[in-house]
Amino acid sequence: MKFNIKYLKCSLVGAVTLALSSAIMPALAHHSTASFDSAKEVVLVGTVKKFEWTNPHTWIQLDVKNDAGEVVEWSIEGGSPGTLSRNGWKKTTFNPGDSVTIKVHPMLNGSPGGVFVGAVLANGTTLGR
Amino acid sequence: MNSTKIDEANGKSTVRNMAIAGAALVIGVAIGNKLLPTEQAGSAEEPVVVEAAGNVPAMNALPDWSGVWAEDGNTIFDHASVVPPGGSASSRGTREFPPLTDEWEAIYQQNLAKVLDGTFPDPITPCGIPAGFPRIFNLPDVYEFVVRPEESWILSENGPNVMRIYTDGREHLPEDERWPLFTGDSVGHWEGDTLVFSTVSLNTEATILDRTGLKLSNELTSETRIRKAEDGRLEVQMTLQDPLALKSPWVVTSRFRKLEPGSRVYDYACGENNRNPVMENGYTITLGPDGKPLEDIEQ
Repeated sequence: MKFNIKYLKCSLVGAVTLALSSAIMPALAHHSTASFDSAKEVVLVGTVKKFEWTNPHTWIQLDVKNDAGEVVEWSIEGGSPGTLSRNGWKKTTFNPGDSVTIKVHPMLNGSPGGVFVGAVLANGTTLGR
Repeated sequence: MNSTKIDEANGKSTVRNMAIAGAALVIGVAIGNKLLPTEQAGSAEEPVVVEAAGNVPAMNALPDWSGVWAEDGNTIFDHASVVPPGGSASSRGTREFPPLTDEWEAIYQQNLAKVLDGTFPDPITPCGIPAGFPRIFNLPDVYEFVVRPEESWILSENGPNVMRIYTDGREHLPEDERWPLFTGDSVGHWEGDTLVFSTVSLNTEATILDRTGLKLSNELTSETRIRKAEDGRLEVQMTLQDPLALKSPWVVTSRFRKLEPGSRVYDYACGENNRNPVMENGYTITLGPDGKPLEDIEQ
């Protein structure tokens, strides 16, 4: 089995990649983070398609347009509902249709997924860093 | 007016005197179905201390470890020996330095290499294996430490995991009645405000200590002391011995801070929406919302 890196060259209009001098990966409670690039951050500007308020991880499904105007759906993994709720999140923090900016550590193989780092909500509220 | 309730459980009896005002809760514990002589509560304001047999203290002699707790720092097992200092298990190249035998240092080296290429899966990822001891003192999310005279429980939201520590005077399971247990068999006693217990019969080889790839053998035993330190932290000091994996006893300390009053512990329900299956080759992949891998996988 191998992974094809078919997404790596897919530049995204709404995405800005930042190289980090130090690697800080948010703790994920139940699996290895080896598939994510802790040395890189990608800033995604898009529209929330779905917010899964579930264990063991929450997931934000975010539609982001690429250079060709095609919508690419990103899967953004977050902490557990318990931990997030103790940090002020609610199941309605992200709602379908919300225009948001989300920063992630992207998947190493270029797939449209990442670990949540921080966000700016439509109302200007900031989460994370 | 007081009412008296007698509970029979595990060969022990508990007497609970409940004052109507609810201000006095009096619990006496006796061993072997023999109730200790007790005084009826003299008033609603003053709880009656009931001396218990042997090293089993009265309920109101136990320390207050109530509330919700979270571990200080990240999920590295040994914060004292980790390199680089403060390194996390998610940062490649991070490792600890327990006094491993050459054979188990080689195993650790192999696992560190697997972490680098992404083929060191966490045993808890499929949502069926508990974290086990000693990793139970090294988890994200939050904890509760529930103490009673005859038994204490360590409850982690993550997992969830439950560790039971018997302090009713019983001995460890006889050798021929043991089998590998993720949280082992723990018996102990109270030394003042310190819970002291030993743990044997562990299934450590089926677990990890943290995601750097650190493992010990099923011969692991531990002498553990838990107390509330002067700064209010709960301090868990484990003295780990493993004749196969360790050249000398390894002392590791985890500390837990109390969250603000009113904090809650929630479901974890690991299998509810686990989008991170582990492949046969050890890779942990990510599923999209449709249940199909995000990665383009060729078998």
